[in-house]
Amino acid sequence: MKILTSTFRDGDDEKILLAMRSLPYDRLVLFGHDDAEGPSLEKFRRLERLSGHEAGFREIGTASFMEMVDSISEELADLGSDKETGSRNEVTLNISGGSKIMGDAALLAAFRLGVEAYHCDRVVIKLPVLRGATAKDRFTGLQVRLLDVMADREKPLAEVIRAMQPNSKASSERTIRELRRLRLIKVRSEGGQVHLGLSSEGLEVARAVRFARAR
Amino acid sequence: MFGTLGYRPKSLIPTLKSTKGVEKLVFYCGADREDPEAVKKVAEAKGEVLDYCAQMGFAVDAVELPDPFDFKRIALRIRADIRRHRKEGKSIAVFNIAGGTRPTSSAALLACILEGIPTVYIHDITYEEIPLPLLRIEYSKVLSGEERQILKVLRQHQGEDISEVALAGLVKKHKATVNHHIKNLISKGAVRLDKHPLDSRKRVVRVEESTDLLLGDDE
Repeated sequence: MKILTSTFRDGDDEKILLAMRSLPYDRLVLFGHDDAEGPSLEKFRRLERLSGHEAGFREIGTASFMEMVDSISEELADLGSDKETGSRNEVTLNISGGSKIMGDAALLAAFRLGVEAYHCDRVVIKLPVLRGATAKDRFTGLQVRLLDVMADREKPLAEVIRAMQPNSKASSERTIRELRRLRLIKVRSEGGQVHLGLSSEGLEVARAVRFARAR
Repeated sequence: MFGTLGYRPKSLIPTLKSTKGVEKLVFYCGADREDPEAVKKVAEAKGEVLDYCAQMGFAVDAVELPDPFDFKRIALRIRADIRRHRKEGKSIAVFNIAGGTRPTSSAALLACILEGIPTVYIHDITYEEIPLPLLRIEYSKVLSGEERQILKVLRQHQGEDISEVALAGLVKKHKATVNHHIKNLISKGAVRLDKHPLDSRKRVVRVEESTDLLLGDDE
């Protein structure tokens, strides 16, 4: 199924209609804050009912910019697969609706997940999100596994090596060096023990890998 | 430091204060010319930022956008400016994307993602600076040298109906080699094959419109 998603707030009729006219889709899902209910959302619900589909609405929290990025990423990842049939959906995203901060958060989420994205406002602009250019595509299986192992908290080196088994110690250490060179891992010494943790960039890569994998 | 400006200097100035060793500010602003109130407010904000920079001794480039709603032109302009500054040997510490119109802010964010520039947002209420994650999408590694060359040639011949055979001649490579690269570029979403307008048995190679944004004007 082709799913057209868009950031949205009441009054965004022209932008959403432009996306609906220009981008082929079966089902429309709008992302908005809790104040999105209003005449515009009602109008899109009515229009979609005429085509035999319900317009979906997913609420995006307003707590912070990065939580918004995560929230939109989660929704996009969730819409990427059909839970009943297990088949994959083709998801496209329009970032021109909603508040400025939500549009920017959606743009980051699109790049993070490699979702086809557009900016529909007077004209339709396709954004240069390349397939095969997400964080998940850039790292080897072993590097991704190490990021997973370290995603929740800082850990002593010995614990990381243990969690990476059955990979050998040498191979795990090589992977740690690779990610350290990429500045994704921070190393700290305390009481004669080496502790490893993800840098802020490492945390973002770990999150991006998790969302991209969920798609 | 780079930034976007709307009505509120407070969305831009905190980054000047929190960034070490800034020598120059480049900021983008513009208002809907049919809205006199917006024109007035943007002019006031611009004046305040210029005044602040003068007092603090920062060099400043205030870039007036002809249309602050033209997403594509703004993205291309900002990207070209970033590249120009880098070519001149200047390093860009940070890009604050909090101010300006929606398209201006999003276009700036896009340019930052593609150029790998550290980006910050200013919280609307607390004026706290929020650093955005660097996605570090290295397009130079996603697109091979041959793929970039093919895209460059296709953009030079935009509007023409170029078949893979003709393209092979233009890039001086074997047809099978070009076919291989075109397949890769299709899978990455950078080009597509369309039917020839006069002969539906033939296919012509078209660059996706997003490739302009991907590569920028100067590539």
